[in-house]
Amino acid sequence: MNPFVATTLAAALCLTGGAALANAAVGQMAPPLSATDTSGKTVSLADYKGKHVVLEWVNPGCPYVRKHYDSANMQGTQKGAVDKGVVWLAINSTAADAYDYRKPAELAQWMKEKQAAPTATLMDADGKIGRAYGARTTPQMVLIDPQGKIVYTGAIDSKPSARTGDIASATNYVKQALGESLAGKPVSVAATQPYGCSVKYSSM
Amino acid sequence: MRPSITHFAALLAALCITLPAPAATERAVVDTGQVRAELLAHAPEGVAPGKPLWVGLQLAHAPHWHTYWKNPGDSGLPTLLDWKLPAGFSASDIAWPTPSRLPVGPLMNFGYEGTVLLPVALTVPAGFRADTLDIQLQADWLVCKDVCIPESGNFSLKLPARAVTVAHAAAFDNARAMSPQTVATVRASAEVSDGALIVRVAGLPAAWHGRELQFFPELAGVTDNAAKPAARWEGAAWDARVPLSPQRSESPQQLAAVLSHAGATAGVQLALPVSGAWPALGSPATAALADAVVTPAAPPIGFALALLLALVGGALLNLMPCVFPVLSLKVMGFASQAHDRRSLLAGGLAYTAGVVLSFVALAGLLLALRAGGEQLGWGFQLQSPGVIAALAALFTLIGLNLAGVFEFGSILPSALASARARHPLVDSALTGVLAVAVASPCTAPFMGASLGLAFTLPAAQALAIFGALGLGMALPYLAASAWPALARALPRPGLWMAHFKTVMAFPMFATVVWLVWILGQQVGIDGAAALLAALVALAFAAWAFGSPLLGRRARAGFGTAALVLLSATLLWAVPSLRSEAVASTAGPAQVAPGGWQAWSSERVAEAVSQGRPVFVDFTAAWCVTCQLNKRTTLADAQVLADFEARQVVLLRADWTRRDAAISAELARLGRNGVPVYALYTPGAAGPRVLSEILSPREVRDALAALP
Repeated sequence: MNPFVATTLAAALCLTGGAALANAAVGQMAPPLSATDTSGKTVSLADYKGKHVVLEWVNPGCPYVRKHYDSANMQGTQKGAVDKGVVWLAINSTAADAYDYRKPAELAQWMKEKQAAPTATLMDADGKIGRAYGARTTPQMVLIDPQGKIVYTGAIDSKPSARTGDIASATNYVKQALGESLAGKPVSVAATQPYGCSVKYSSM
Repeated sequence: MRPSITHFAALLAALCITLPAPAATERAVVDTGQVRAELLAHAPEGVAPGKPLWVGLQLAHAPHWHTYWKNPGDSGLPTLLDWKLPAGFSASDIAWPTPSRLPVGPLMNFGYEGTVLLPVALTVPAGFRADTLDIQLQADWLVCKDVCIPESGNFSLKLPARAVTVAHAAAFDNARAMSPQTVATVRASAEVSDGALIVRVAGLPAAWHGRELQFFPELAGVTDNAAKPAARWEGAAWDARVPLSPQRSESPQQLAAVLSHAGATAGVQLALPVSGAWPALGSPATAALADAVVTPAAPPIGFALALLLALVGGALLNLMPCVFPVLSLKVMGFASQAHDRRSLLAGGLAYTAGVVLSFVALAGLLLALRAGGEQLGWGFQLQSPGVIAALAALFTLIGLNLAGVFEFGSILPSALASARARHPLVDSALTGVLAVAVASPCTAPFMGASLGLAFTLPAAQALAIFGALGLGMALPYLAASAWPALARALPRPGLWMAHFKTVMAFPMFATVVWLVWILGQQVGIDGAAALLAALVALAFAAWAFGSPLLGRRARAGFGTAALVLLSATLLWAVPSLRSEAVASTAGPAQVAPGGWQAWSSERVAEAVSQGRPVFVDFTAAWCVTCQLNKRTTLADAQVLADFEARQVVLLRADWTRRDAAISAELARLGRNGVPVYALYTPGAAGPRVLSEILSPREVRDALAALP
């Protein structure tokens, strides 16, 4: 069985299965991903075959997400990537009954206020995508190469803190991985531990 | 939801009880609503070089709020302490108290609820002569319930150098009691193996033995935090399989960890030397589940090897209980022909031909039916109640004949009877056919892989494998019939043969019992009763027409009655032998005791995705090996206890009747018959297929290896 079909099936099993987090790991094919964005349009990973795709788990209620948005670090990373033809999908896996859930329009409004520049902002209130990718925290980052393979998963940067002041001296792992992958080089730091708030998954 | 990051509480100058002489000190408290944080000190011999001096941040959490251990788990951050001390002073790392597991949905964090003190040892420089010690601390902590709030606080404390400070002795004593203990007798090591860290710890305190332990690696990004390690106790040694994290980022050669259990105040500190090769970062530690499902457990084998295995497996078939009745027929054949070597050899060859041809014919039929789209596997003929009933009738007749109730000569048309008498070879060949009909469902060890391969091969090769199987089965008889010494060893024909013949009737009847039981599994108790009634009518007819003791008139009278009786019984019995008629009757899978549930592939996927291991028993009532395993190994108290302890989902795939889904699943496992025992492990590289002859040891070992 070829790995793509295998991963697809694995993801499908996990999607139907419930609580457990999936095994999407660096070196594996990215699980299929399809969701509606904040404007109700359906977006699929399959639409972006042949392109680098960045996934960003976002939740405006999380102080660590705000650390990177209030400092414009995340928006800057987004713009830099999108300008190079990279697809950036921000994903909100917060459950609809969580205290910090935002409706699609509210999330779109927040992203707009922050002058965020993702290709699309996706709603994943049932947590299917988050579980399929094993997203544990907000923010958490995944980089998928043009072949559909996961080449980076983990933190946005190397300083796990809530202090905006740490950003300047931290290594931005996404920028680094993207730069290497776009240059055709292997990603030197391919897996790090994400830091931040727990993803508030629905109990399903 | 605004961040209450910097809630600077006023620095409260307060009285701190110091003994023996009261002295002025400061203490600092930061209360954020979620946490009341306080800087505490403990200087039982004052502040002097070489004397113990402890400081620490005490965090009192509001109910349900928590902060994190040094490895916070899936999310969260460890509390950071940044000390400002006079020149020459140095602060140790935090002596972290033993953490707790804090589940958040599918995620797992490690940290503290309630009140915890994070102590730090200070070293006083040799030349320290001052009257007071000024301590300043900036602390950052992340406090979470369902919301996470990064908080921080600045603290300061002035300690008298020449007085003891013991007001918080209890808090520091408590923190010391909670800190993981180094136990001299503990020997611990870890090995990277098959997507998991195999942790072995010997010499743990006696009070811990047999308990469920919690494993806390101090390094994040190594193991799967949420997974419960699959562990077992062997005396004082604890063996556990901790799955690696799919998002693993570290490959340490030495791993510090804490082992604890729910009732323990303090854990045990471990320093694990790690052996074995870490999987390359970026290559998945665990294969995808779907890969696993379709990985045939038996390695693909070559054609020549398959032929050889089929030959050996065929020979082993003679040891299976299902062939015993036919065995007895053959022994009789030997006895009657023992002193005529030529006819003995000819009989052996005819028997061989009968066996090989029937195997090939049965396989050909199976291949043809499969080509026609039927989902069938080996043993398919016994999935039809009609075939079972016909076999039961045949064995009843053979048994009655052996017992002397009737003679074939009286029943068979004279031409056929004389043909049979004139051609003992035909008789031998037919015995071979019978042997195959009964033996085929006993998928002997060695045959599983062979048959699985056979059905993936071109038809000619597949038939060759079945031919080899038949040859293997007939081989012992062929060898015996060609070996004069064996024939000479048998006693001369005489009265003993008549007795032997009668005795042989009983294995035949025992076979009938087995067949009736299978039919009962297939169509229920009504069908079994109908079959028994038909067998009684058949026996009556056989006696009426075949008893050598009956006169012509009596035979006519009883014969007529027997025909009427038999027809009436069959008319009543046949409809209830159709499995469809009673298909809704609960099969053994639905009513099985001991927590077994009916198998479905969805149920396997669901359980595995919930992180539970699954054991599937592919079985059938007509499979003797299956029944043996079910009543021994799968009923073993220790095996059942292990199933329970690992929360294994037990599923039974009952193939007694035709079932396309089960046939398809067997094919995916590379098998074509039962028994098959498969253990599915969440996140593992594939279902592990255990051997057909199942031992409790093997099952328990497989369970112990679960993550």
